[in-house]
Amino acid sequence: MLELKNIEKSFGNVNVLRHINFSVDDGEIISILGSSGSGKTTLLNIILGITQPDCGEIRFNTHDITKVPMEERGFNIVFQDYALFPNLNAYENIVYGLRNKPDISTPDEVQDLIDLLGLREHLNKNIEQLSGGQKQRVALARTLVMKPRILLLDEPLSALDGVIKESIKEKIRQIAKEFHLTTIIVTHDPEEALSLSDKVMILGSGTILQYAKPDEIIHAPKDGFVTEFILRQLEIKRSNILALFDGGEVRTAV
Amino acid sequence: MSKKKISPQIVILLFSGLLFGFFLLLPMVTILAKSVYGSDGVTFEFYANLFAGGNIFQAFLNSVLISAASGIITTVLAFIPAYAVNYTNIHKRLKKIIAALVMLPMLLPTITYGFAIIYSLGKQGIITKILGRQIVDIYGTAGLIIGYVIYTLPISFMLINNTMGYIDKKFMIVSRIMGDSTLKTFVNTVITPLISTLAVSFIQSFTLSFTDYGIPAALAGNINLLSTRLYNEMLGSLPDFNTGSAVSILMLLPSVLSILLISCLNRYNIRYNKISVIELTKNRVRDWICGILSGIIILLVLSMFTVIFLVPFVEQYPYKMQLTVSHVTEIFTDHTLMNVYRNSLIVAFLTALLGSLLVYACALVSARRGEHRHYGKIPDTVSLITNTIPGMVLGVAYLLTFRGTFLQNTFAVLILCNIVHYFSSPYLMMKSSLEKLNASWETTARLMGDSWLKTVVRIITPNAIATLLEVFSYFFVNAMVTVSAVIFLASTKTMIITAKIKELQHFANFNEIFVLSILILSTNLAVKGLIRLFAAIRMKKGK
Repeated sequence: MLELKNIEKSFGNVNVLRHINFSVDDGEIISILGSSGSGKTTLLNIILGITQPDCGEIRFNTHDITKVPMEERGFNIVFQDYALFPNLNAYENIVYGLRNKPDISTPDEVQDLIDLLGLREHLNKNIEQLSGGQKQRVALARTLVMKPRILLLDEPLSALDGVIKESIKEKIRQIAKEFHLTTIIVTHDPEEALSLSDKVMILGSGTILQYAKPDEIIHAPKDGFVTEFILRQLEIKRSNILALFDGGEVRTAV
Repeated sequence: MSKKKISPQIVILLFSGLLFGFFLLLPMVTILAKSVYGSDGVTFEFYANLFAGGNIFQAFLNSVLISAASGIITTVLAFIPAYAVNYTNIHKRLKKIIAALVMLPMLLPTITYGFAIIYSLGKQGIITKILGRQIVDIYGTAGLIIGYVIYTLPISFMLINNTMGYIDKKFMIVSRIMGDSTLKTFVNTVITPLISTLAVSFIQSFTLSFTDYGIPAALAGNINLLSTRLYNEMLGSLPDFNTGSAVSILMLLPSVLSILLISCLNRYNIRYNKISVIELTKNRVRDWICGILSGIIILLVLSMFTVIFLVPFVEQYPYKMQLTVSHVTEIFTDHTLMNVYRNSLIVAFLTALLGSLLVYACALVSARRGEHRHYGKIPDTVSLITNTIPGMVLGVAYLLTFRGTFLQNTFAVLILCNIVHYFSSPYLMMKSSLEKLNASWETTARLMGDSWLKTVVRIITPNAIATLLEVFSYFFVNAMVTVSAVIFLASTKTMIITAKIKELQHFANFNEIFVLSILILSTNLAVKGLIRLFAAIRMKKGK
């Protein structure tokens, strides 16, 4: 279990995060949802270990890891732009971590991952030959080879379109289940957050506005912001899509 | 928790700090001290003596006026080929040729320009002969301006061409749709976004001309210039190091001012979010005019250099014009001259190798995200400072500082001087290229167990190799052609080509001067060609 207690962070005079308290159970998928400037990236960086909080405590399985450096926490991340190494091909990217820790995954495990993510036919390709979805899957595979204790995903779907988005969502769910892997997703898209995760944390100007199951957020929004921006956005989307299916003929008739 | 180790970034900072402390700060302090510190302590008598003569004002004024005139002419002339390359439908290959030919003179030392002009436009010059009369008196203002323009045209072209490439040309369409006249469109979408670059181009060519020694060495005639004055104070018949230092400080001031002005102006550069590719309007008249004008400019510049390939290959110019290779074979069998060439190669290669390493290390600290990034201001500042110091001043400062130390008369002092002198441009080049690489590589690799150094070797370097090669070639070419600093530092044991050319001038040994120039040119072309080839092979392998 990951617990954050009373985390605070400011840059200069700006309070980026205030009174951050929450916990994530093992194997859960949670989303941190917020607009730009809400502090979600800073929170991600604090969990990962890039940024030190000003005060507060991070515990993982009851150990205090607040001061443990990034590479010793055993967490791992897939960045929004994937950060794949263009001088290496897809396969060399996937097994990059084995150069430093040869025993972390067995050859069979690596092969299973490649199949799970459907990458077998792309292994010898250069990075620039891969599509967005393929890059995302290579980055996921590269991270999963390291057997992270927590998987962090920074805007994993924002660079992908339509159908690919849905298939990557499915893969993320499948991975979390199969490896019983705690997964923390950062996103600005309510639809993504609510349809993908077990719990959603809505962040607004540095504080947690609501942290609950998607169902609860939809039916019992706790805050004006949540209703105003998150729910309204989804409702507009819903009515637009419904109009497409139901009212299509009416419109063309007009 | 791991023990606090000294990180490689800190080692880089410490090392480069020490290096620039000893080879930039110390020499500059020394030269300043020398100009105000006589046998009786602090004194301003050297400045007083300098100004008492009166002709230092004249020298200063001459230098300023001639350099300013050159700066204006250069900028106007450089605009034309840059416009032809960026705003016309001239064939792509022709554009490449225009750009390559405009930049060609960069591969020769400025001291060669001077002698080439003498042999082209002088009384016995080849162009004078063809035209039947001498068009200008080259010893003096006209000759100097011609030399400076040829010298700074490539740099000015590079600046303008670069900015033009980053101007979003879609605004031309917008302007025309809005009903602007052709002139208004031109002013609003070409000139306006270029204003600060044009100013930078003027200042840059002004500074380069103001501080150059190679061209005045051949063409100053009776004109009193700051650079010739400095040379005479330091290496003339009556060397006076104190007065020389004072002249150096005089030369330093406008240079510092200029570079500060440029760094301010660069902030006013208009930045477009993205560069859209548009089809330029068809206009054959415009294309022909720009093409022909560019051709004329290139022809004029290159015509100055044809003599280099003529004079050494005839019996005795201009009296015996039979073709012969005897001069060339003589030179190639002359051990002293071949030694000088070998020395130049050693110095240029080591300058390029060590300079590239230093630039890369410094740029890694300042350009890549990490806990040490704020220290990146240190190399940034060093880069700005080195950019303000003219080569001549640096050379004089080294001469004063390392006289009598183990570094005197060594290759090391030449190499260090070159690296410090040319640090700025390649550093900025490297930094901007590293900044463009994905910012998350280090974090990602570290999470997979890499140390910083491992990531640099395995990931950053393979992806930065193209720029590294460019940096290498920049250092190499400049080390081959530099005159201003090294004339104060090359000794009989460490004589390099450009300093040798200066020496050969005394004996009016122009065959040797031109053959050595051809050697420099072909070496630079060969190195550039090899680097291109290497890069092309790498590209192919990657695909």
